[in-house]
Amino acid sequence: MKASLIIFVALALRQGLAVAGPAAQDVLAASDAIRNPGRSFSVTVTLTEFQAGKQVDTSTLTSYARAQEQGGQFASLIRFVLPARDAGKLMLKNGNDLWFYDPATKASVRLSPQQRLMGQASNGDVVTVNMAKDYRATLLDEEEVQDGERRKRKAYKLSLAATASDVTYPSIEIWIDAENNQPLKARFFAESGRLLKTAYYRRFQQQLGAERPTETVIIDGLNPQSVTLLRFSDYSARPVPETWLHRDYLPRFQPE
Amino acid sequence: MILGTFARHVLLSTLVMVGFAAAPALAGGPDDEALSLGSAPVQSPQTGSELRLFVEGAIGIGELHDNAGNQFLRRVSIDFRYLAPLAPGWRAVFSDRLDAIKPPDLGADTVTNSLREAYLSWQAGGSTLVDVGRVNLRYGPGYGYNPTDFFRDNSLRTITSLDPLTWRENRLGTVVIHGQHLWKDGSVSLAFSPRLDDAPSQNGLNPDLGATNNRNRGLLVLSTRFSERLSGQLLAYEESGPQAGVGASGTVLVSDAITAFVEGMRGREPSVLSRTLGAAQPLMTRNRLAAGLTVTVAGSLSLTGEYEYNGFALAAADFAALGRSQPSLQTAYVQTALQRQDLASRHAWLVYVTQKDLGLKNLNLTALARFNAGDNSWLGWVELRHHWDQFDLALQLQQQGGDDATAYGKIPVWRSGRLVASYFF
Repeated sequence: MKASLIIFVALALRQGLAVAGPAAQDVLAASDAIRNPGRSFSVTVTLTEFQAGKQVDTSTLTSYARAQEQGGQFASLIRFVLPARDAGKLMLKNGNDLWFYDPATKASVRLSPQQRLMGQASNGDVVTVNMAKDYRATLLDEEEVQDGERRKRKAYKLSLAATASDVTYPSIEIWIDAENNQPLKARFFAESGRLLKTAYYRRFQQQLGAERPTETVIIDGLNPQSVTLLRFSDYSARPVPETWLHRDYLPRFQPE
Repeated sequence: MILGTFARHVLLSTLVMVGFAAAPALAGGPDDEALSLGSAPVQSPQTGSELRLFVEGAIGIGELHDNAGNQFLRRVSIDFRYLAPLAPGWRAVFSDRLDAIKPPDLGADTVTNSLREAYLSWQAGGSTLVDVGRVNLRYGPGYGYNPTDFFRDNSLRTITSLDPLTWRENRLGTVVIHGQHLWKDGSVSLAFSPRLDDAPSQNGLNPDLGATNNRNRGLLVLSTRFSERLSGQLLAYEESGPQAGVGASGTVLVSDAITAFVEGMRGREPSVLSRTLGAAQPLMTRNRLAAGLTVTVAGSLSLTGEYEYNGFALAAADFAALGRSQPSLQTAYVQTALQRQDLASRHAWLVYVTQKDLGLKNLNLTALARFNAGDNSWLGWVELRHHWDQFDLALQLQQQGGDDATAYGKIPVWRSGRLVASYFF
């Protein structure tokens, strides 16, 4: 009985007391700035899917991201490159304005966020979402965490609660390097509290003016045997006009 | 003793706190395994021209109505789409498909070529666009029926599958001069489609301009995005003679997992029966409508339900009476509706289901059911498709329900199974 009480008190202390330290929202914003270039850009994403350690699928996408003036989020136009079957298909995300376009059927289909989650394009959200804009951060702890390269790093552990109702993940836990604000690891949760994804950010390299993660390991929350690796290459600062982010432009899109 | 108990509690609570703090942070077994995985080699995408080429073969067996025997079904198809930038702002698009089908569709050649698109496109600054040539201008958010898709009639030379998405993929574009201007939340476009031939061609290798350009037509489309969750289109259509129509469509994000769509048109044109009879075609003013919902539920399952209405079609009692008095005319009536991708029935329903990764990675299920409310005939179609890197293998099953006097009962093969293999280059 006493032991249970002590466990309860320990948990309550851990959940209830914010750790003294830098402003959590500032740390999160600094981490966002490392994941996302603060301007429009394009990047090639190579996705490698694994089941129980065996590679089961690969695909390549090009993402054209535009920093939106309102809300500070990125809008993205994703073009499927490989496999050949999917080449030329497009996925548009402009907030909750989600469209899928297939050049073969000439059909632009509005998607719900849940429909978009069925495809690999949604994994890109784990990388480009600007968390400080849509989440309120609380500093939970300062602790040692294993990073994506299995090294121990001293990190701030933040709890993020969504401030907007239309975000994909209502709550997130994220570990951010205490020395340089690099994002190291994040856990994305559903409304029910169910773990949806765990992401590790790794292979930091100089890209578009900052040391940015060029690989993200995403582990499925329901099935940890299902793992997706996202490799980012060919970063390029480039204009992404607003007209590209209109569903009527999708049949016109031509990669440059 | 008391001190000992206290010490144990302190030790226990310390362990609990350390344990809870450390457990999520220090990755355990599954994460370690995931972190040891390496990415596939990076392939930088090619810019410039875009080629999509695949060959497809299908074999199957179909059971004819009234125990009239079985048919051995065979098909070979080559599907080609090429997009080439010519100069800054200029591009050329060519899209073609060749189908060899045995036995051929009624009245069609065994080998049929579909010159789907061939056009030049020019863009000025990404916001003003002009296309000249055969362009597939397709409108409407409906899944199985598109009242606002004004260029749909006679655009399908072959039917290789009952999936309406395949119909969209295989259809002919219309020769047009098409201009479009886009702004942040909208666009306006105008298309003029000239008369270039008199009537559809029965020659399988003919580009069949007579199917898509047998009269002068014009279409004005205004698109707008009202919010992230709501967008719509207004359409005004006119063709040589007194036929004209206006249309509207909208899509809305209802919730995190539900989208809804509606499209409708009101037009002045001949009824489906008048078109079947030919000669003098009295005009009537009626409506067409399609409206539905797509719901996505756990496990990558998407369900779409759609209601369809065609005011130009015969009412149920009139359709039945036609079947009793003139069965051959009733057959021709259904054929006319099919050629125009119109509804033979006044009211109809569609259910469309997709399930990704059905128990196996890259094994996808697509199923549809169409119900004809006028005569209670129905059509069911199921496809199980497995994707490999460049190869697809699919099993397709279809069945109709309804007797000879019903719309779906008129399809000669009432039950069939096909194995379809596709290779993507």
